[in-house]
Amino acid sequence: MAQDADADLMLAFQRGDVSAFRALYERHARAMVAFCHRFVRDPARAEELAQDVFVKLHGFRDRYERSARFRTFLYRIASNHCLNELRRGEHAARALDCEPPRDLDALPGGGPTPEEVARGAALERAVARLLGALPEKQRAALVLCRFEGLSYEEIAGVLETSVSAVKSLVHRATVAAAAALAPQAAPSKEALP
Amino acid sequence: MSHPREDLTALLDGALAPERRAAVEGHLASCDACRAELEALRDAVAALAALPPPPEPSPFFGARLEARIAREAASPASLAWLHRLRWRLALAATGLAVAAAMAIFTVRQHRVAEEQIAANLDLLDDYEVVASVGDVSSAEDAEVVASLDELSPKEGRP
Repeated sequence: MAQDADADLMLAFQRGDVSAFRALYERHARAMVAFCHRFVRDPARAEELAQDVFVKLHGFRDRYERSARFRTFLYRIASNHCLNELRRGEHAARALDCEPPRDLDALPGGGPTPEEVARGAALERAVARLLGALPEKQRAALVLCRFEGLSYEEIAGVLETSVSAVKSLVHRATVAAAAALAPQAAPSKEALP
Repeated sequence: MSHPREDLTALLDGALAPERRAAVEGHLASCDACRAELEALRDAVAALAALPPPPEPSPFFGARLEARIAREAASPASLAWLHRLRWRLALAATGLAVAAAMAIFTVRQHRVAEEQIAANLDLLDDYEVVASVGDVSSAEDAEVVASLDELSPKEGRP
């Protein structure tokens, strides 16, 4: 297996090095909050869920084995936790909320025009509706692939399924995204030189 | 080659084996429909990539996480003990409830049997009287026993 610095940290934590656990959450907190936010569309709840993930990771200290990449292991905990959260249904309505973008200055391009702000908000709403409508495995596969940048092999490890199943999940979710985001994609395409 | 639609997303993601990739690209060179579908998928991937960035962790993320872990670590023994105790109490309560239900059922059955005997005591007496005279084996005999009270002494009551 390739060098996995995170797995080394987890093993150090297993031996009692508390600073190794701190290093792990410092390295992955941003990714976990972002990942959870894709599921619940609520920054405060996303942070809570990300904290839950690290509390679970802390609890896995004695049972962790270096049998898979640490990132796969962490995303598996996070995926299961977020999917359970969705099954509880508390965030189904929020997923379709028409909330404006949280940080308008953070829109691509910097110093966005009102038109770009409106387009970013419309895109966020469309993506929220898309994610809310996808079956849960497709949703997880799409988020892991498009937003987290995991390979098909890594996603297969996270979702505990085959690479060919992931290929199908990602394809179907991307086809659904093409249908759902076509109105958002068209104007931005026209704007290109 | 049929339309390799299932492979188009994997092609965009660079997830096809070299041979399969060559075959799909060969098909795309001569298929307008698949090229159009590939473009639509590419646009969707670009639109998703253009989303505003997700929120950052709050400045207190680490402090809150460590406080929570410390809080949970401080009480696992007592919590586990309470958890076990709660289960044991629940099991004991269930056992008691089952035992009580069985006892009530048995007492009730016994009482019903006693009440039935009491209600038919006269009949039993009559039966014994008739049985002392002779055999009571036919349905007619039983009918006579059941209506013995209605018979007058003249009609044959011993």
